[in-house]
Amino acid sequence: MTATLFDGIVQGLQLSLLAAGITLIYGLGGVLNLAHGQFAVLGGVAAKLLLDRGAHPMLAGISGIVAAGLFGLLVDRSLLLPAYRYRGEERLLLGLILTLGLSFVIDGYLNYVFSDFSLTLSLPIASVQIAGIPMRTAGLMTSLIAVMVFLALFAFLRWTLLGKTIRSIIENEVGAELCGIDPVRTRTIIVGLATMMAGLAGIAQGLFSSLGTEMGPGFTILGLLVAVVGGVRSINGALVAGVFLGIVNAFASRYIGAYVAFIILLATAMATILLRPSGLLARFT
Amino acid sequence: MSRWPIFSRYADLVLLAILLALVPAFAAGSPYYLRLATLAVVYMGWTVAFNLIFGHTKQLFLCVGALAGLAAYVTAVLSQQLQLSPWITIPIGVAAAAGLGALFSYVSVLRGLGVIFVGIVTLAFSLIFQNLVLGLRQFTNGETGLVTRGLGFALLEHPLAAYYLFIVALTLALVVYSFVMGSRMGFAFRALSDDELTAELSGIDVTVCKVIAAALGSAIIGMGGTLYGFYNGIISPGLFSFANVDIPVLISLLLGGMRTRLGPVIGAAVFAVIEEFVRPFGQLNVLVDGLLLIVLFIAFREGLVVNVRKALGRTAMLWPTWLPALAPDDMSNARPSGKMSPRAE
Repeated sequence: MTATLFDGIVQGLQLSLLAAGITLIYGLGGVLNLAHGQFAVLGGVAAKLLLDRGAHPMLAGISGIVAAGLFGLLVDRSLLLPAYRYRGEERLLLGLILTLGLSFVIDGYLNYVFSDFSLTLSLPIASVQIAGIPMRTAGLMTSLIAVMVFLALFAFLRWTLLGKTIRSIIENEVGAELCGIDPVRTRTIIVGLATMMAGLAGIAQGLFSSLGTEMGPGFTILGLLVAVVGGVRSINGALVAGVFLGIVNAFASRYIGAYVAFIILLATAMATILLRPSGLLARFT
Repeated sequence: MSRWPIFSRYADLVLLAILLALVPAFAAGSPYYLRLATLAVVYMGWTVAFNLIFGHTKQLFLCVGALAGLAAYVTAVLSQQLQLSPWITIPIGVAAAAGLGALFSYVSVLRGLGVIFVGIVTLAFSLIFQNLVLGLRQFTNGETGLVTRGLGFALLEHPLAAYYLFIVALTLALVVYSFVMGSRMGFAFRALSDDELTAELSGIDVTVCKVIAAALGSAIIGMGGTLYGFYNGIISPGLFSFANVDIPVLISLLLGGMRTRLGPVIGAAVFAVIEEFVRPFGQLNVLVDGLLLIVLFIAFREGLVVNVRKALGRTAMLWPTWLPALAPDDMSNARPSGKMSPRAE
């Protein structure tokens, strides 16, 4: 029971990492990134390449995250430029198509070049006993990192000047621009940050079980679902929605079975969207 | 306007049907190319329907494959389990798809969902459908697929006859589409795709319009799904997956041009040709697809039809006026202006 809850929270936090990235890019750039899961896989592939060359797992993991972020910066400054020329729905549509194309390119390339790829990172100690329950250190560590990342993100958004400018752009891009904020520069930083979070989610998958190149679309879809259940514009919402859906999924797969569990997960997401169209925590950004 | 308004309004459709009917002559008896052409016609139908739902009424239905699959599975399972004739089961399958499409549309209008939210809800439905088909093994035979050979019309199992049947169905769908777009409903669609609030304020019932567009579009999608299921001889979840149906349909629509009559058809045809060209790349074809998608969109953002129109606009004098498909601003299927104003009642 407690173990199932713990599993759910761990998986949920991983989903939250992906969803928060999608939320940030959507809030700031007005682009729904359909290649977000692919960034997670990309981070994992970069980590694996370093690992194979004999790098320390810790270093490899961090480099993987940085690599995902760098690729994010590159994409923002090149591929997404045509989309940024428009506003509102035009930008959304063009952004959807461009990122969908990007996800095909990444998937096609990775599946071709690394056809039998799988990243598995293992920790020195496999499991520990906490309050009488055996817990896997991998789960503990990934959730600890995820919680720390979220705390840092909230602190950053609340107390730093850059964080405040980011929130102002999410609220109203034109208004922020009139106050002298440069949305282009801020957007680039945020895309880098969001893709780094995706990279972290990919590495976490490698720690928790194993990461394959074919997992990109699955990550993207789950991340999108969670982001939308959270309200697409709220990071708190993404966090809560991720943990909520993670727990629903863990309990459903523990007590009912895998096919039905996924259906229950999707139906819960659908019901949440229909019951609270503006997200779980609509009022807070 | 030419002297034959009816002919003039449908001249491009007649031309299209003739062109498509001539394709088997060029396929030179190769069953492979005939099958490709048939698949292209099925996708054209789906894209026409998706244009009605997404292009004209801005409802991002990411469940084209699931609706088509639903109709196909309902039809096949009913035919198999109850030994009913396809004349009864096909309408039931189509009605199931249309009803579900209308329900999605009604609920999302009721809850005031934006484009993305409708997209995610319908995407979730697509995934639910896939898992249901896998889970309900005793009816659907799971991943292996359900054999539909012998359940449907014998005509659909003859490749050439099936191809012509699909052309008839596509032309029928296009005629229904043109009829709707030329009616008062069509004007309402144009108004609400420009600005929903203004349309609502000027007395258009946006809910009814959206639900009708969704129901009609879903019915066309379902029809395509059932016929395709019988034609294929076996239906499996993979046949109607998101990657296999929704993504090609979305790309075809955007490639050809949203809110145009022939855009979806041209887009689906171009997409089918592109797919055939990238097939030799083997596993890299996904990558080539992605690159093409990006390049085509940066180059022809408004779709091929609009770009061709613009190019022809410079040489307007050379273009026969009776061919309405390429006329500017898609007023091609509008009624003569006298009937535009509401009748005094």
